[in-house]
Amino acid sequence: MHLKSIIDSFPFGKAPFILLVVTLFAGGWLLFHPIPENVATLRFWTFAKTHYNAYQQIAPVFEAKYPGTKLDIQLVHGDAVTTRLRSAFWADLDVPDLVEVEISSAGSFFRGPIDDVGFVDLTSWLKESGYYDRIVQTRFAPYSNRGHIFGMPHDVHPVMLAYRRDIFEAEGVDVSKIETWDDFIREGRRLTRLNERYMIELSDSGASNLEMFLFQRDGGYFDADGNLIMDDETAVKTVTWYIPLVAGPNRIGSDLGSGRVFTQAIEQGYFLSFICPDWRSKIAEVDVPRMAGKMALMPLPAVEPGARRTSTWGGTMLGITKRCENKDLAWELAKHMYLDPEELAQRFRDTNILPPLRDAWDHEAFKEPRPYWSNQPIGTLYAELADQVPSQYTSPFIATAKDKMSEVISACAAYYRAHGDKDFETYVRTRLKQAAEEVRTYMRRDFN
Amino acid sequence: MTMQRMALFRLQRKYAPYLFVTPFIVLFLLFGVYPLIKSLVLATYITSGPKSHLFVGLENFRFLLSDPDFHKAVRNTTVFAFFSVFLQLPLSLGLALLLNRELVKGRDFFRFSFFSPHLVGQVFVAVLFSVIFIPQFGLLNRVLHAVTGLALDTKWLTNPSLVMPALILTSLWMYVGFNMIYFLAALQAVDRELYDAAQVDGASAFQQFLHVTIPGIRPVAVFVMVLSTIGSFQLFELPYVMLGNSSGPEGAGLTVVMYLYNNGFVSGDLGYASAIGWSLALGVLLISLVQMRFTGTWKREE
Repeated sequence: MHLKSIIDSFPFGKAPFILLVVTLFAGGWLLFHPIPENVATLRFWTFAKTHYNAYQQIAPVFEAKYPGTKLDIQLVHGDAVTTRLRSAFWADLDVPDLVEVEISSAGSFFRGPIDDVGFVDLTSWLKESGYYDRIVQTRFAPYSNRGHIFGMPHDVHPVMLAYRRDIFEAEGVDVSKIETWDDFIREGRRLTRLNERYMIELSDSGASNLEMFLFQRDGGYFDADGNLIMDDETAVKTVTWYIPLVAGPNRIGSDLGSGRVFTQAIEQGYFLSFICPDWRSKIAEVDVPRMAGKMALMPLPAVEPGARRTSTWGGTMLGITKRCENKDLAWELAKHMYLDPEELAQRFRDTNILPPLRDAWDHEAFKEPRPYWSNQPIGTLYAELADQVPSQYTSPFIATAKDKMSEVISACAAYYRAHGDKDFETYVRTRLKQAAEEVRTYMRRDFN
Repeated sequence: MTMQRMALFRLQRKYAPYLFVTPFIVLFLLFGVYPLIKSLVLATYITSGPKSHLFVGLENFRFLLSDPDFHKAVRNTTVFAFFSVFLQLPLSLGLALLLNRELVKGRDFFRFSFFSPHLVGQVFVAVLFSVIFIPQFGLLNRVLHAVTGLALDTKWLTNPSLVMPALILTSLWMYVGFNMIYFLAALQAVDRELYDAAQVDGASAFQQFLHVTIPGIRPVAVFVMVLSTIGSFQLFELPYVMLGNSSGPEGAGLTVVMYLYNNGFVSGDLGYASAIGWSLALGVLLISLVQMRFTGTWKREE
């Protein structure tokens, strides 16, 4: 009755009164339930679920080793890591102490004056500790800028070729006799049946596959000094060679996308092989389990006899942010996570990812035969290729360059479908020059 | 009632409205006006890295005029907006007319069914249609292959000439039912007596539609058209998710907002992104004004 009289006497009516009460209640609740204070000594972001699961196991060991330490490991979506981290750097807001950044976005964090880069320069720590010489050198390239190493490489990501061993054997393909891409293409033309079965999964619209072939030929988007090289002779030759593999009547490759469609395509023999960096071998095990024992790995065919039998695809760096208050402890955690052979062995079992620390490869975990891969010791196979992995240089403009290269691939594939070999190399050269010039226009705007 | 209470009530009546609007005003100033002004200032700078800014005046806007990617984004967005609006509106109106008829059984069910795609959000719809458009194993290709013999490996999302039709088809599925609701409401508000009078005068069904229905729903139609145009020019989530965080083959799915996002949050050039944002805002304002001018919105209000 008393409440009713209060409501009745409220001059703006019943509804505003209720709204006011709800607002006060909600505001009061928030006021008395503040966000718990962060008690973690070190906060760490990762974007990969497999990494996150592995690090969860590491945390108690590290906390026991350094009493009083509290780790807060957070799984943050890949895109969110990039945007949140960048926004935090810009606004000078709270950032994690350590963060894993995917290779394709790492370069964008190195834009601007070197002193403004939000990550700690790890060069002296890596060199003084001796780890610099024990890690596969080429893996520092994507995370270095103007002579400074801002990220510790998480992986090597050598590339092999995964293939349907059962079908290859039934079709009489002897993989030991496939040494070069010419050998592979010859077999591919024999086995491919257009729109039913393709020798290899390759994209005719994106650059992710092409760039592996570029790296295999020591090409790429940028050189070690950050100069754009996506229109050099290596690129022209590589694109001219690549497009007939995915377009025109003699194509041996096609692309359907990732996820469930990839699973179906492998199971149904639509793709007989696919480019398989170490991380993708785990994806195949998880997503295409029914192919266990029917799959196998072989080194990537070489461009010419005796040449490099691998390339690289993907990567992750671990960076320590400048705002981190316990940098020495963060460095200890980085070493524990990335450089402890026992931890790395267990992580290889969980993820199939080859760590860049050479000492770790002697562990038994890397020599174990894997039933899924027809009992091949995939750790050893990937490790044997690790030192051949080419450098992959980056730049703040890497995303733009990749977009432009994808446009070139798509346009060249359309040209090849319409005109075949006629003036094809000239067309490729022109398109690459045009694309590169557009990237250079953006680069010229940068004032640092 | 005592004099004291009366005085308190008078005070409440005088100041309470200001108290109620204060939270909105504060939030609007903080999260609406300030970012707008800040972005306008930013548009006159080139940003490089977290702390370096270089004042360039109108250089960002000048660069826009010669930027082929921006031109592509504008072209794609305009094509999308044109087809979205001019396909969506007739389809929505047609559905509304159909579901406004008492003869149709289960009208409520159909109304909800057609409206429901809008409830799930753009990201969900984008993921759903990414699966539907999958070559070789996707639902659409399977159906089209069975019905028309279309190649099973038709690549809707990686063929430059099919990307835009795929995006338009997806947006139609999502928004036709949503706009239908507006038209339904408008149709139900048209005075029945006007139809009776038209019938007495011997008007055919088409004439009634042309001379009674269309004028009756014109304010809502203009509203839907302007809203759809603005929404179309803000297209982001659908292509972003459907094309795997990329602009699609040959940039066929690049929209203005995607381009803004790429520049601001991928490349880190907030100044240029702000210039793109302001250009988009001015462009949409201009188009909306033209639409309202040609549909006679102001004339009617005078």
